[in-house]
Amino acid sequence: MKMYLITFRSITFAQKGEGALKRAGITCTLLRTPRAMEERGCGYCLTLRGGDAAAALGVLRSAGAPYRKVYLQENGRWEEAAL
Amino acid sequence: MIYLDNGATSFPKPREVGRAMSWALSRFANPGRGGYPASLEAAREIYRCRSAAGELFGCKPEAVVFTGSCTQGLNMAIRTLVKPGGRVVISGFEHNAVTRPLHALGAEVTVAGRRLFDWEDTLSRFRDALKGRPDAAVFTHVSNVFGYILPVEEMAEMCREFQVPFAVDAAQSAGTLPVRLDRWGADFVAMPGHKGLLGPQGTGMLLCGRLPEPLLQGGTGSESRRQEMPDFLPDRGEAGTLNVPGISGLLAGIRTVTRLGPEAIHRREAEEAARCARGLREMGFSVFSGARQGGTVSFLPEGDCEAAADRLARRGISVRAGLHCAPLAHESAGTLETGTVRVSFGYKTGPWESQAFLAAAEELRGGM
Repeated sequence: MKMYLITFRSITFAQKGEGALKRAGITCTLLRTPRAMEERGCGYCLTLRGGDAAAALGVLRSAGAPYRKVYLQENGRWEEAAL
Repeated sequence: MIYLDNGATSFPKPREVGRAMSWALSRFANPGRGGYPASLEAAREIYRCRSAAGELFGCKPEAVVFTGSCTQGLNMAIRTLVKPGGRVVISGFEHNAVTRPLHALGAEVTVAGRRLFDWEDTLSRFRDALKGRPDAAVFTHVSNVFGYILPVEEMAEMCREFQVPFAVDAAQSAGTLPVRLDRWGADFVAMPGHKGLLGPQGTGMLLCGRLPEPLLQGGTGSESRRQEMPDFLPDRGEAGTLNVPGISGLLAGIRTVTRLGPEAIHRREAEEAARCARGLREMGFSVFSGARQGGTVSFLPEGDCEAAADRLARRGISVRAGLHCAPLAHESAGTLETGTVRVSFGYKTGPWESQAFLAAAEELRGGM
């Protein structure tokens, strides 16, 4: 199953995004961003299992929850995804 | 004890506030610093409080910066809007939380509108002052000494018309009167958490319509490699660990205010202040009251105001005397030398407390 990881500049934006996705019926999990994916230091991210990542990003944009980057995990490796 | 010093802090707090603080102390670690449950749960509590405040005051959750007091928020707002030596317009009823930071900056201050309970005077003087194109305006919503409710909606509109950035001190209005960052179009609105919002002391919020200049630099749990403070809200204004138990208590306070309804609280407080003013006037005291008054009333006893407050305290009535940290307001009202005795009502006070106060005040007649 595909897994997406969406990074945010702060926990507040990640929480805002989490709330918006849950209200839209999209299951997600709030986590610390893995070190390799956060070049500016510390941050938080949301992970999504499967589902429509493009739709999730649309929800985040509409909610005013700016995200930084989106990563896709396939075959155990994370790659930055262009969506 | 009959507590009539709610202008200083609301007391007693709702039971839920203490419970929430106790729960926070036993359950929550440092928010925004870890990925383990106790840290994430703390962050969720903080975000619930941001969201509740944002809903009540017309702003996004991230526009709510937690502070240790209204004073801290006002300092941040003033440091952002006013450069050293800058020109500022203020009302004639400002607290030292506004005037001292301006004095420290060496600001050139114009005081506009000094007549109590007179909206026409306040607005015309304020408009005249704005015509001089000051760098900023800072004004209180309600005088902490006299309970005078200033016409903030109109003052905000004037600031927008003259394109003057402005900050509002909502120390005495948040939780009882409509306070809306969005409708006012304010750059900043500062408020305490422990007065009308019924939270614990040591809490406050700065609602930000723009990015503030931080008062403190330090850890935010975000963008840690950068040595500059983050350029986004709320992190830019929140260096260091947040007061998690305090914010939990504040959330419980906000929920209580929302449940009771700010309008109902205001009505109750204003009715008691008016009852109190009538009674004091009938006794022959000099009372400061008017049509646009909140739940606070000041009066002049025949003798020393501190001695009068002391006599009331010995009868179990808690009121405040003196200058109330607002010498400018006293200067406007002509009470700088005497001070006043201030009686300020809260969400729990009613006619019984007013009557008990008035009965005790009878004994003040004839001076000390």
